[in-house]
This record gives sequence, structure tokens and C-alpha cells, in this order.
Amino acid sequence: MVEHARNGAVEHYEDRIVAAFTFCSIVWAIAGMAAGVYAAAELVWPELNFGLPWLSFGRLRTGHTNLVLFGFGVSALIGTSLYSVQRTSHVRLLAPKLAWFVFYAWQLTIVLGAWSLLAGWNGGKEYAELEWPFDIAIAVIWIAYAVVFFGTIARRKVAPIYISNWFYGALIIVVAMLHIVNNLALPATLSKSYSLFPGAQDAIVQWWYGHNAVGFLLTGGFLGMLYYFLPKQAEQPIWSYRLSIVAFWAFVYSYIWAGPHHLHYNAIPEWVQSLGVIMSLVLLAPSWATMINGVMTVSNAWRKLQTDPALKFIVLALAFYGLATFEGPMMAIRSVNVMSHFTEWTIGHVHSGALGWNALITFGTFYYLVPRLAGRPLHSTVLANAHFWLALAGIMLYVLSMWAAGLSQSLLWLSLDDLGEVRYSFVEVMEAMAPYYLLRLVGGVLFLAGTVLMAVNLRLTFAGARTVAVSAPALVPAHAAAFSAAGGTP
Amino acid sequence: MTLLAVHKAVERNTGLLIFGILVVASIGGLVQVLPSTLDESLSAPAPNVVPYGPLELVGRDIYIRESCSTCHSQQVRPLLAEVKRYGAYARAGEFAYDRPFLWGSKRTGPDLLRVGGKYTDAWHRVHLLDPRTVIPTSIMPAYPWLDTRGANADDDIQARLKTLRTLGHPYSDEAIESAPAALEGKTELDAVVAYLQSLGRFGINDVEEHVGH
Amino acid sequence: MIAQRPPLLRFGAVLVAPEAAIASIAADPPSGARAFFGAAVWLGLLPPLFAAIGTMTFGWRLGVEPLFLPAGTVVAIGAAYFVLLLFGFLSTAVVARWMASTYGADASWSRSFALVTLVGAPLAIGSVVHLYPNAFVNVLVLVPTLIWSMYLLYRGLPAVMKTDPGRGMLMASSLIAYLLVSWVTLLGITAVLWSRGVGPHVAT
Repeated sequence: MVEHARNGAVEHYEDRIVAAFTFCSIVWAIAGMAAGVYAAAELVWPELNFGLPWLSFGRLRTGHTNLVLFGFGVSALIGTSLYSVQRTSHVRLLAPKLAWFVFYAWQLTIVLGAWSLLAGWNGGKEYAELEWPFDIAIAVIWIAYAVVFFGTIARRKVAPIYISNWFYGALIIVVAMLHIVNNLALPATLSKSYSLFPGAQDAIVQWWYGHNAVGFLLTGGFLGMLYYFLPKQAEQPIWSYRLSIVAFWAFVYSYIWAGPHHLHYNAIPEWVQSLGVIMSLVLLAPSWATMINGVMTVSNAWRKLQTDPALKFIVLALAFYGLATFEGPMMAIRSVNVMSHFTEWTIGHVHSGALGWNALITFGTFYYLVPRLAGRPLHSTVLANAHFWLALAGIMLYVLSMWAAGLSQSLLWLSLDDLGEVRYSFVEVMEAMAPYYLLRLVGGVLFLAGTVLMAVNLRLTFAGARTVAVSAPALVPAHAAAFSAAGGTP
Repeated sequence: MTLLAVHKAVERNTGLLIFGILVVASIGGLVQVLPSTLDESLSAPAPNVVPYGPLELVGRDIYIRESCSTCHSQQVRPLLAEVKRYGAYARAGEFAYDRPFLWGSKRTGPDLLRVGGKYTDAWHRVHLLDPRTVIPTSIMPAYPWLDTRGANADDDIQARLKTLRTLGHPYSDEAIESAPAALEGKTELDAVVAYLQSLGRFGINDVEEHVGH
Repeated sequence: MIAQRPPLLRFGAVLVAPEAAIASIAADPPSGARAFFGAAVWLGLLPPLFAAIGTMTFGWRLGVEPLFLPAGTVVAIGAAYFVLLLFGFLSTAVVARWMASTYGADASWSRSFALVTLVGAPLAIGSVVHLYPNAFVNVLVLVPTLIWSMYLLYRGLPAVMKTDPGRGMLMASSLIAYLLVSWVTLLGITAVLWSRGVGPHVAT
């Protein structure tokens, strides 16, 4: 019934590390979102920084983005990828000690990195602000993660590599490429380096990186999460395996080109901008193909919704995934971009994706994962349902206030009077934004409150438990036969 | 080999999968990004564009330290209303010595590409120390600590200039030698003001701010 | 007896007694035509009407100064608003019918129309805030109204479309995806038109 290691001992999956990553991910979610809420409050009451450099808006916002992306997001991705790669490969993790190194080193990097950002160590490029010592540390940790992940796949007992591993694999490989190239810089001191590329070239490289950080970290990696955890939760196979493969390659190919849509009407060549537009529109197809795959998979799982709050989050996440991956290509069109660039609309778009897609699907996955790791049922479905509505209300307030603010902003900025001069001063337009900033703050507080409820709920679920030891089930003979027939190539 | 056969091979081989992802994901960068990094028209300085002098460089690095790009862009788009509001639209050659670029992605505050010369030094000083003294409804943070630190407090200006010279910025030996002296008695506030006053003026500044030209 | 009440009252009841209104509509939905011509069209007239009155009285307020539009423009915008609302109503009902088979729901016109009317009613009434066309005030009132409508959608869909709660939740989420995408498409089209100069001009 259970797999045995060569020495005859029963081989369990290494799941304590999954629990560890999940725990840290939730901690960083709360810390990162709290930083975001505080920053949002500072836009309403600027004196909230109390004259302290490390609390001022610029540094705090940088802390916020890094904590949510690399603390919350990456911890969730690594943890869930290690959980699912073992189970789809029917083997225990390769080199668990190396995996634990990844865990501890990553969390240390987040702590020290966030501290460094608040202290003002800043490379100056969005989502790549951590200075060169951290860049090197991240590269080393990432290589270790790649070894553990691909090494586990290489020793798998199931012949085909499951689709979720393709997406997590793409996350690992492409983020490595982006991170290394975009952070190429010459250090001047321990805390200060200068980018290899100057000016307009730097801009093109940065947004090749920045957009694909969204593409492969926030989209690709979480699609890996979706492709494993959705069929598990729904107890249904993926609706169309063929579609998932086609969508995967189309996705990996097209996303890379979309970067220049962050630079429309900026000082870069026309042809680069135009390619960005076209490929951003092309990107709609694989994105929505995946959404449809998810929706159709879950449509057979409706009975579970009665008892399973986790599934609700994934279902809503798919809706927001559809929204965000539609809105993005639309904003990549030049005429729309004229009205959206530099405005609050961009912020609204980011958060509809980050809150609506990334956070919600992670929450759904955690509601599924933690009870299983603990070997107990979820502590409270009432709390989970309350979380669902707080999250939804928070997202709607946030996104709609930012859409209204952004459109007002660009309309007012672009208005000319009868003499052909600008009609409104910048200050006048900025003052008009004030009520929207307040509404957005309320939205953020609601979303954070929901997240805190989840943390409490999961803490009570896991309290005092030890991670359940799970072994790989006996392999279905057909898979084993296919593996050896294929020559057993790792 | 049919596509299905290719797929089956990749699906069963870790190495092929890794290779496949790397190849497919590289294409966009090779076509779009690599040529741009080799395109000299994108990195050649426009006429009158000069590298930042030591005080301006310190100011720029403080601008990055405080994450000013979070709220302020430095990129005027070729749109009528924008040119009317901010001045001439941005051209690639202006940014030849910008490492990293600071075009920004958000305007919570106004664009600063052409702010040089628009306000007096005194205005900038008062505004940076507390924006609400000049604009009561401003939501910009106050930066009172800029006045408390010397511009060369970390004594690393020469290391920074040397690094930039290695990257291609034309600083002479005398320029680097005399840089610490140029920062003597200046605060971080002086540095940030000097940087802001240099923005968008195509190098038309006080000559003594530029060491080595 | 309840079936004899005019559609407008039956749907309007969702604002004061939502559970009863949903149950009544679900048990005995009015025909598609009655729902459309008896309720939806009238509810759909409210937002453009309120917007027109508000614009003429107070002008558009984006946070700086009131912007008054010429009377002809106001009428044109009102008409366009009404047409768009009807299009939104019909397209959502069509999409709901299309989705119904996937979710084991009753794909009849009467039920699809009934669902959209029920869910849209709070927004139609909430549009009274258009009488004061301050952008932020409208956001402040209509976003919570929207959240209430979303709640009604989740609550009401399983009963009205005669499917079980689980599949109803899924279908509601899919409809929300459609609505979000449509809304953002409208934003996009608006942005394209306005950036090309096809938009309202202020009365001098």
C-alpha cells in the first residue's frame, strides 16, 4: 500500500516544510497588507509618518510591495509547489535539507530585505528595489529551489510530468532569467549599485522584467497552484488537458513580449511599443483558455460548495482572473493607455489582480491545505464565509474607487480651456482625489480584516497539531507500466 | 515528428521541459530587448546632456533612497495637454546618464522631468522640509531629516563616481579627486535641491556644480 | 393572488422584503415580456432621468468645479445611457441563458429576465444619487449598492433559475465575471472615444 525507500523504511512526503511556508506566507500577508493599509492612510493623513524616515510613504510603499510579492506570494508558491510536486511525482522531496535551507534563507532574506528597504537601500527599479547583496542571495536560494523542485520531478515514479509542474517550472526558470538580467549592476558600496543599462535601455529591460514578474510569478506560478489544487478540491479532473498544454506554451511565449505596454508614449522606439500592444492582445487567448478550463472543471464540483468554503474563494478568484487578464490587454491599447497611464486606474488594475486573483486563490488553497496538513477539519466555516464577504466587499470598494479616481484624474489632467491652456492645476486635480483615497483605505481595511480572520481560523485549526505524515499511494499499474515502457527517462 | 509526439517527449523528460521553457521564454527578449540594449541611439547622450556632478548625483541617489519615483514621474509624453503642462516631451538621449532610469509609473504628485529652474532653491528647501507650508493641501511626506545629514556623510562619493565611470560616464580624474571637496559643507537637502534643479535643462546649470567640464 | 400584482411592484419588493420577493418570483415568474416591459424598462429609465436632471441642475462634478453641458448633449448622453442599460440587461439575460445548461438551471427567458431585473433593481433605485452628479458621492452610494446587488445575485440565482445552491453559486460567479469584463470594456471604449475627442464638450 505504501511506498518504501531502498532501506525498507516507509517514505513519507516532506510536508512540514509546506506547513512552514504556509505559516510564513500568512504572516507576510498580514504584514504586507498592513503596510499597504498604513501607506494608504498616509495618502489621506500625511502626518501619519510622524517625521520618521522609515515610515514615510515612499519607503513604506516599497516595503509593502516587496512583502506581499516576495513574502506572501513567493512563500505561498514555494510551499504549494513542494506539496504538489511530491504528490504528482509520487516521491518524497529530493534533498529535504536543501529545501529547508531554501525556507530559512528565504524568510531571512525577506526580514533583512524589508528592513533594508525601510532603511533606504534601494536599487531604484520597481519590484527589484532590493540591492545587490540581496539579489545575489535570492539567486542562490532560487537555484537551490530549482534543484529541489526539478530534482524531485526527475526522480518521479509517474511517467508524465503533470501540468501544474509545468507552470511552477516556468515560474522558476523565467523568474531566474528575469531577475539576473534586470539586476545586472555594478556595486559602488554595500548598499548602492548602479544599473548596467542606462536610461531608455534600462526602461525596456525593467519592464521586460516587471511585466513578466507579473506574468510568471503572479500569473504562471499561481496557475500552477490552480491546476493542482482546483481538481483536488473539486474532486474532478481538469476539463481539457489538451487545452491546458496549448495554453501553457502560448502563455510562456506571448507574455514575454508584453512589457513595453508599461512604456506607451515614453521615449522608446515605436516598434517596441507596437509589439507590446499586439502581444498583449494575443495574450488574452491563453489567459482566458486557462480560465475557461478552470471554470469548466469546477462546474462539476457544485455539490462540494455546500460544505467547502475553500472552493468559493477559488471560484471567485477565477472571475477576477478573467477580469484582470482582460483589463490588462485593454489597457495595453494606446488610446486607452493615454487615459490610464500614471493614474489611479493602474493601481485599481493591479489590485483587482493581486487581491481578486492572487490573494483569493491562495486563501482558497490554504483553507484546503491547512486542515489536511493538520489532519483535522477547518475550525470554522462561519469565519471562512465572513472572510469571503469581507474580501469581496474590500475588493469592490478598492477597485471601483480607483477606477473612478483614475478616469477623473486623466480627464482633468488632459482638459484644455478655450485658450488651449491646461484648465486645471495639478494641485486642483490632486485635491479631487482625496475622497477616493479614503474610500480605497476602507476597502483595504476590509480586505485586511478578512485576512486576519483567516489567520485566526487556520491557527485554531492547526493548534497543537503535528503535520500529518502522508506516504505516496501505490502506483496504478498502468502508470508504472507506461513509465518503464518509456524507458524510465527522468 | 508530429506535435503530439514532441509533446509526449517533453512531457516525460525533465531536461527537455526545462530546455523548452527556456527557449520559448527567451524569444521575446531576444527580439525585443536585446536589440534595444545594443541600439546606440537609445543610449547616446543628446546635445548638452552631461553626467551628474557630485552634488547632483548624491541628490539623485537620495531621490532613489526615499523612493520619490513612487509618486513622481520623469517622463513627459508627446500629448498636447502634457506638453502644455510640463514642457518639451522626453527624448531617449536625455537619459543617457540615468542609472537607473527614473521615469516612474505613477503621478500622485506632478511629473518632474522639466522641474529644473521652475522654482527657486529656497522654494524647494521649504517644500521638501514640509510641503504643507507652501501647498496646504499637499499629501507629500515631509523630509525634515534631509537637513540633518551631510551630503558626503558616508564618504563614498568617489566610489560612486568611479563605478559610474566604469559604466561609461565621462568623469575625469580631477573631477573624482575634487568631488569630496565639492560636497564640503553641503547637506543632503542641498544635494536634492541641486538634483531637482538639474532636471530637464539639458545641462544648462551653474558651471561650478559640474566638476570636470 | 400575488401573480396579479404589477411586475414593477413584485420586483420592487426586493428592496423591502428580499427573501419574500425572491421566493415569489421564483415560484411564479412573470413572462419575459411582462418582466421587460412591465418592470425592466421603467427601472432602466430612472438612471438616465436622474442623471439628466442632476447634470442640468448641478453640472458634472469631478472634484474641481461644476461642468455644465449643453442641453442637447445632456439629452444625447441620457439616451445613450438608457440604450446601454437595456443592452446590458438583455445581454446579461442572454449570457445567463447560455450558461444555464452548464449549471443545470432553467434556461427560460422569463427566469433570466426575472433574475437580471431582481439584481438590477437596487442599482436602478440607488441611481437617485445621480441627481447630484458628484463623481465621488455616486461612487460612495453605488458601490455598496453594487455589493448588495452581488449578494442578491448569490442569494437569488439558485431559486430563480431553479438550480441547487452549489451550481447556483458557480453560475453567479460566472455571471459576475461577465459583468466585470463588460464593465471594463465599457471603460475601455469610453477611454478610446474620449482620447480621440469624441466626448462631451463643456458649455462655455
